[in-house]
Amino acid sequence: MEREQLEFDVLFVGAGPANLAGAIHLKKLAQQQGREIEVCIIEKGESIGAHSLSGAVLDPKALIDLMPDFREKGCPIEETDLRDGVFYLTATGQLRLPYAPPSMHNEGCFIISLSRFCAWLGTIAEELGVNIFPGFAGVEALYDEAGRRVIGVRTGDKGVNKDGKPKSNFEPGVDLLGKVTVFGEGPKGSLIREVGKKLGIFAGRMPQVFETAVKEVIEIPAASPFLASPFTVLHTFGYPLGLNTKGGGFLYRMKENRVSLGLVVGLDYEDPGLEPYQEFLRFKKHPLIADIIRHGKVLQQGAKTLAAGGLYTMPQLAVDGALFVGDSASMLNVQRLKGIHTAMKSGMLAAETILTAVGKGDVSAATLGDYRVKVEGSWIRNELYAARNFGQALSQKGIAKFITLGAQFVTGGRGFVDPMNITDDASTLQAGRFRPSTQVQDHDGKLYLDKLTGVYLSGTKHEEDQPCHLLIPDKELCVTRCWETFRSPCTRFCPGQVYEMIQEEGGRRRLKLTPSNCLHCKTCEIKDPFNNIIWTCPEGGGGPNYSIV
Amino acid sequence: MDIVVLVKQVPDTESLVQIAGDGASIKKDDIKWVMNPYDELAVEEALRIKEAKGGSVTIVSVGPQKTQETIRTALAMGADKGIHINDPLAEGSDSLATAKILAAAVKAIPFHLIIAGQRAVDEDNYQVGAAVAELLGIPHVSLVAKAEILDGKIRCQRAVEGGTVVVEATLPALFTTQRGLNEPRYASLPGIMKAKKKPLEAKTLADLGLDPAAVGAAHRKVVVKALRLPPERKAVRMIQAETPQAIAAELVRILHEEAKLI
Repeated sequence: MEREQLEFDVLFVGAGPANLAGAIHLKKLAQQQGREIEVCIIEKGESIGAHSLSGAVLDPKALIDLMPDFREKGCPIEETDLRDGVFYLTATGQLRLPYAPPSMHNEGCFIISLSRFCAWLGTIAEELGVNIFPGFAGVEALYDEAGRRVIGVRTGDKGVNKDGKPKSNFEPGVDLLGKVTVFGEGPKGSLIREVGKKLGIFAGRMPQVFETAVKEVIEIPAASPFLASPFTVLHTFGYPLGLNTKGGGFLYRMKENRVSLGLVVGLDYEDPGLEPYQEFLRFKKHPLIADIIRHGKVLQQGAKTLAAGGLYTMPQLAVDGALFVGDSASMLNVQRLKGIHTAMKSGMLAAETILTAVGKGDVSAATLGDYRVKVEGSWIRNELYAARNFGQALSQKGIAKFITLGAQFVTGGRGFVDPMNITDDASTLQAGRFRPSTQVQDHDGKLYLDKLTGVYLSGTKHEEDQPCHLLIPDKELCVTRCWETFRSPCTRFCPGQVYEMIQEEGGRRRLKLTPSNCLHCKTCEIKDPFNNIIWTCPEGGGGPNYSIV
Repeated sequence: MDIVVLVKQVPDTESLVQIAGDGASIKKDDIKWVMNPYDELAVEEALRIKEAKGGSVTIVSVGPQKTQETIRTALAMGADKGIHINDPLAEGSDSLATAKILAAAVKAIPFHLIIAGQRAVDEDNYQVGAAVAELLGIPHVSLVAKAEILDGKIRCQRAVEGGTVVVEATLPALFTTQRGLNEPRYASLPGIMKAKKKPLEAKTLADLGLDPAAVGAAHRKVVVKALRLPPERKAVRMIQAETPQAIAAELVRILHEEAKLI
């Protein structure tokens, strides 16, 4: 099929904080230098911010660099008065740490809703003349004839039915061409996966690892004692995950009697029976949290993974014609539980590199490689270097975790072994560790929700009549080895109830997929022990419709 | 054939709808705004008629600044130009006042056909289309499931209880859309690029020669006194059993013994 081609100078794939900051910075720099530059951003979500979810505590240092007048420009900030409390939870009680570790001091930071923040950055970018196309998914990277240089991205066809046949409103995807393409797809991007395979950008790195967060925004009564408590930022560890599973909880105060509540679970967990969503509900029922949210109402729910690997998993940052930014390039600082500031900074450094390269007419990996030099010379590197073994320490079991963390604390991140090894999330499930999930049954439809009500509150919708976007290369494996060994962990790790094991007449099992429930979190592709789930982009515009998470 | 399409920007039905402090309006901060789905059918039908018969498609809409996004979406689908009545004095107009504004805007341009959504899904009044036709003194056909342009006439099919009615009206006429009329097209990426350069005219009430005392929130003939959310949903109960027969039997048992409905 002949496809329409649209040419730009720079093409950003994914409208998260990295690419939005990159596009804004690029336009501003070009303006300062009196240069014209055509910039395009595509985003698979129906609108900018619709697929953005984070805690989120924002360290504003990149934002200040990008836009010193961000307040005058209407930056949506939920809370500026950040007072930290770090708690160790037991099943029924809590112990407040007498002092919070330095990495968890958040004075000077802001609480934001990332979806609101991205929507706002989108309006700023648009005002600067960036062509923003929400509702368009990149489905294939395009290369030059030699297959070495990235030249752009093909967008997905729309109006294709379940059987792959065009419907009456069929609209073919187009080829978007850029002198430079910037991949900022967030954690576990479906394009960077293919680019990585073809051009080897992950070769020689430790495996990319992730954590899954389930999050809600809850409206609490105006009279809630929490609104007068000494803390606005709570972090917890211990219950419900225990000390052998990486992760922890958070609760942040927002405007209008709202709180942001979430639980992050490291995807290197070993117990095939673990269900992050159920752990989240157990966390909500812990007295410390339950007291705060009592008589509250869930306004929005969502789930997303975050790139937790850090410095030693950072891929090659530039290839011929393309750069990688933000979570796609493992820029998140897991020690500070923050990735928005590093993502934005990486996008801005990419923009500076691109402007020079496009000016010279040389977009080779050698010239674009200046981006890595810039990252190495920036505070991103300093932060990530200090945290280079932090995630690995958290992955340790029981008390060893604290000994290692202590050693890293006194040695500036080196600890006992440097680098500490990282294990691929897909390989950590242990058949012998199976513990049936503790189901929290008493959903009330208002404050404690089952998964499907949660999906409803994420605003998720997809065109129903389209090909399934979750590819299962070996369906037989699901009902044989995977069921026998792990009892189908996909039915538990997916927070959207996309995967269900059905027993048909005659006792035969079948994996039933409901792809329209998909929250685009990518946990399935990351955690599937047989690497038997491939996440591809559904029709553009599908997925969650986040606005306040 | 010159066609006018009346569109309205409405909250996305997937949005988080919360009632504002006054108890009679909704909080607008966290809402996504989209084209009224019945208006999408209207835009699509207009584009199909234009593709078959030639002519032009003009989008007309009343609303605040952000309404432009919805007009641009229609232009991206393929409409030729937009007219946006953007005037703070028009804000809060009821159905009749909205119709007066739209009729005044349409009167100023040549047209053979007007297509509108049967209703806007925000307030569900079903009034504006019919009122515009009345004010312009042209025939009005509501809830059209199929439209055919004949010589100087339009032939429409409407679904009624148990069957279909076929009606004809002479042009110029106005009809409103029913689900099933067509499958609206997507705004393509090149279409969106082109839409940025298409003419979008902004007009005020004064431009249309309208008296502000006839429209706006202060002059509503119908006033919203209160809004209430539907009752909270009860938790859904999934019936689980090995076979369809067993599921059906359990459903019947629940309806009979617990719900006492049968």
